[in-house]
Amino acid sequence: MSMQDEPDVEETEPGAVDYDALEDLLGDAVVDRETHLNAEAFVVRGDAVTDALSTLKDQGFDHMASLTGQDYDDRYESIYHLRKYDDAQSEVSVIVPTPRDDPSHESATPVYSTANWHEREAYDLVGINYEGHPDLRRILLPQSWTGHPLSKDYDQDKPQIVTLEKHKNPIEEDMEVEATGDDLDTMFLNIGPHHPATHGVLHLKTVLDGEQVADVDPDIGYLHRCQEQMCEKSTYRHQIMPYPDRWDYTPAGILNEWAYARAAEDLADIEVPEYAQVIRTMSAELTRISAHLLAVATFGLDIVGDFAAVFMYAMRDRDIVMDILEDLTGQRMMYNYLRLGGVVWDLPEPREEFFEKVRQFLDAVPEKTDEYHNVLTQNELFQMRTVDTGYYAHEVAKDYGATGPIARASGIDYDLRRDDPYGYYDELDWDVVTREGGDNYARLMVRMREVEESAKIIEQCIDILEDWPEDERDLQANVPRSLKPDAGQEIYRAVEGAKGELGIYMRSDGTDEPARFKIRGPSFVNLSGLHEMSEGELISDLVATIGSLDIVLAEVDR
Amino acid sequence: MASSAPLVDHISGLLNLEGLLGEVIAGLLGSVLVAVIVLLFAALAGPYMKRKLTAAFTDRISVDRVGPYGILTIAVDAIRLLTKELIVPENADRPAWDLGPMLVVISATMGFAVIPFGSGIHLADPQVGFVYLFAVSSIASLGIVSGAYASNNKYSMLGGLRGVSQNIAYEIPLVLTGASVVLFAGSLRISDIVAAQSAELFSIGAITVPAWFGFVNPFAFALFMVANLAEIGRNPFDLPEAPNDLVAGYQTEYSSVYFVLFYLGEFLHIFLGAGIITTLFLGGPTAPITALNFIPGIVWFIAKVWGVFFFTQWARSAVPRVRPDQLLDIGWKGMLGLAFVNLLLTAVIIGVIV
Repeated sequence: MSMQDEPDVEETEPGAVDYDALEDLLGDAVVDRETHLNAEAFVVRGDAVTDALSTLKDQGFDHMASLTGQDYDDRYESIYHLRKYDDAQSEVSVIVPTPRDDPSHESATPVYSTANWHEREAYDLVGINYEGHPDLRRILLPQSWTGHPLSKDYDQDKPQIVTLEKHKNPIEEDMEVEATGDDLDTMFLNIGPHHPATHGVLHLKTVLDGEQVADVDPDIGYLHRCQEQMCEKSTYRHQIMPYPDRWDYTPAGILNEWAYARAAEDLADIEVPEYAQVIRTMSAELTRISAHLLAVATFGLDIVGDFAAVFMYAMRDRDIVMDILEDLTGQRMMYNYLRLGGVVWDLPEPREEFFEKVRQFLDAVPEKTDEYHNVLTQNELFQMRTVDTGYYAHEVAKDYGATGPIARASGIDYDLRRDDPYGYYDELDWDVVTREGGDNYARLMVRMREVEESAKIIEQCIDILEDWPEDERDLQANVPRSLKPDAGQEIYRAVEGAKGELGIYMRSDGTDEPARFKIRGPSFVNLSGLHEMSEGELISDLVATIGSLDIVLAEVDR
Repeated sequence: MASSAPLVDHISGLLNLEGLLGEVIAGLLGSVLVAVIVLLFAALAGPYMKRKLTAAFTDRISVDRVGPYGILTIAVDAIRLLTKELIVPENADRPAWDLGPMLVVISATMGFAVIPFGSGIHLADPQVGFVYLFAVSSIASLGIVSGAYASNNKYSMLGGLRGVSQNIAYEIPLVLTGASVVLFAGSLRISDIVAAQSAELFSIGAITVPAWFGFVNPFAFALFMVANLAEIGRNPFDLPEAPNDLVAGYQTEYSSVYFVLFYLGEFLHIFLGAGIITTLFLGGPTAPITALNFIPGIVWFIAKVWGVFFFTQWARSAVPRVRPDQLLDIGWKGMLGLAFVNLLLTAVIIGVIV
C-alpha cells in the first residue's frame, strides 16, 4: 500500500476514531469486527498480529494499555486494548482468536515492549502461546506449575507436585551468567523476596559487576491470589467490591473500587447521581494523598536509611487522612465504600465537623509539603542520589506502557482524570503535573505536587458538598438487587489509580457474575520497565528506583 | 617530665602498690575503670539513647514500657540479645568469622587507653599517643572485612568491601586533619595536645575562652567531624551496613553474642571518635570558659562526648546516604584535597607567621 492510498485518520475531537478508515488500513488482516462498549474491536488473523498492531501504532495508538487472554468453548482469544497517550478516549481493541487445540499466535512484543509481561501473564494463566516472544516463561506462577488456571481445561483438583530433584536449586541456571567474551567477573545476587528495599515480596534476580547492575530480572508472583478468578466467582452487585481494596492497600482502596465501579456501571448502564460522584471524587483523592504520602515516606526510607525523619513525618500526616477516611467509611484500609451506582452512605454527621476536619488538613498541606521539601528534596545529598538516576526516557516509558506518576515524570502528559473524564473531575479546577526529568527525583516531585493538586480537588468538592441542598442528596442509583448485564458485552475501562492506569476488562454472559474479569495493575506494568532504568547503575540506584516506582506487590501479583 | 601512665601511678600511689607487680595490678584496675566507663556509655547509647534520640528527631515516643522512661529496656535488650541462638552460616570460615566481631570491639576499647577523661582518669600517655590512637582505631576495618568475607554471604561481602574502601578513603583525611592539630600543639603526646588548648584565646571581661583547636581552626574541626562520620559509618556514610541496599551489610550473618559484639563495637567506635574529637578539638576535659573550671573535668568530658554522639544520631535521621561512588569521590577528590590544604596552611601559619 502506497502512502497516497492511506486514508486520513486524523481526528480533532477527543475519542473520535474513524474505525472504518482503520479497518481499510488494516486490510485483509481483519477478518471480523466487534463492538465493545469502550471501543470497536478488530478481529485479526493470528499471523498478522505484528503487522496490524504496528499499523495501528503508526496511527497514534502508541499505548498498549492491556492484554486480556480468555478462552471460550470453541476458541482462545487475546484482546489487545490500545489507546493513545495523546488522547486517551481514542481506543481500539484487537482481538486475536486462536483454535482450542493449538492456542498460539504472533507476539506483539516487536511492536510494544510492554506486551512482554502481558503476554507472559496470558501464557501463564490462560495458556496462549505467543510465537516470537523473546522470553515466554511463566510470570505469576512458579515455573514448575502444570496447567493454566484460567483455562477451562484446568483441573483444580489435581495437586501440583514438585519433586525435590526438580526444585533442588531453582536458580541454578541463573547463576551461570552468559559469557560475554569480555571475561567479565560478575556476581549473581538475589535481592528479595525478603529484603528491606523491595517493598513487599519482590524478588529481583540481579547480576552485578562489582556494585554495578549488569542485569536485573524481577521475579514476581509471591503475592498472587488469583484475584481475577475470585472476582469471576463473585456477583457484580455486592461481592466484587471488597476485592479492589486488596489490590493497592497503601491505601488507595477507593481509587481501586472506582475502577471496578466505573467498568461495571458502564457495563450495566447505571447512571450515578451527581452527589455521589462528588463524594467519590473527594474520597478517591483522599486515598490518593495517603498513597502518595506513603510513597514519599518509603522513598525517604530508601534514600536516607532506617532512621529517616521524613518517613515518620509523612506517616504522621497520612494518619490524619486515614482518620478522615475512617470517619467517612468506617474503615482505615479496606474501605468497601463505593457501591454500583453510588456510595454506601452519606458523609458522617455532624457534617460541619467533618468539613472542618478535612479543611484543617487541607490548610496544613502547603506547610507540610514545604517541610518535606526542606528535609528531603532540597537536600543536596538527596539530589545527588536521585537526580539523573533511574532515568526512564520518554519514548522508552511509552513503549513500556508506563502510566501514572512514573509516566508523568518522564514528560508523558497522560492522566485519565482529565483525558478520559469520569466522576466530577471535569467540573473542577486542577492541573495535571508533569516533569521532564524522567529520573527518581522527578518521580518524587510529581507525587509531591500531586498531593497538592489532590488537596485542591478535595477543597472544591468540600465546598460543593457543603452547599448541596439537603433534599437532593442522592447516594445511589436504583440498581437491581441481582444485577445481570446483557450477555456478550465486553468492556475495558480504566481510572487513574494512585500508581497509574488501573483498568478492568469484563465480559458478561447474562449471569450475575462476570465471565472474564481482567485487572490491568499499573504497578505490574510500571515494574516491567525496571531493567531499562537500572541496568548500568549501582545497586544503591536500583534500590532508589524501586522506591521511586512505588510499586505495591499486591497489585503487581494480584 | 609528666608521667606516661597518670592513672596507674595515681592508683598505685593510693593503694601503696610498689614494684612491677604493683604496677600491673594498678594498671589492671585502671583499665577496668576506663572500660567500665566506656561500656556504660555504649550500654546507655546502644539500646536506649539511640532509640530515644531517633524518636525525638522523627516525632515518635520510642521505648517507654520497661522502667522509668523505658530505661530498663537496656537490661531487657541485653537478655534478649544474649539468649538468642547463635546461628553459624554454612561454610563460614570459622576462625576468621569469630575474630571479626572481636577485633572491632578490641580496636575500639584499646583506643580509649590514651584518651584523657579528666579528673585524673588517663590510663596511658605515651610520647606517640596520637599515632597510637589512629593506629588501633583502624584495626576495626580488619575485623569488618574478616567477618564479612568469612560469612560466605554476598551481601556481607559487599558490605565488607564498602567498609574497607570507605575506611581507607577517609582515614587519610582524618589523620591529616588531626596532624594539623599536632602542628599547633607541637607534640604527639595527648596530654600536651590537651594542655596546649588551655591557653587563653581571648577574654571578654571576666569570661576567658580557652584556645580550643575547634575555635582556633574551625575549618579543620568541620573536616574532622565529617571524616569521623565516615570512620564510624554514620549517615551520610553508613554504606557498610546500608540496611536498604545490603540488608545489614557485613553483619548480616551475625546473631546473638556476635551481633552484640558488632553492635557494641559500633557504639564504642562512635564514642572513641567522639573522644578523639573532644581531645583534639574541644579541649579534652577542660571547661569552655575558664570560670567554670571548678566543675570536674570528667563532667565536661562526658558532656562533650555525648554532644558528638548526639550529632551522629542527628545526621543519621536527617541526611541521606550517598552512593558508594559518590562516597569515594567525596573522600579522595574532596576531603583529601581539603585536608592537605588545611595541613599546609596550618604549617605555613605556624612556621612562618607565628
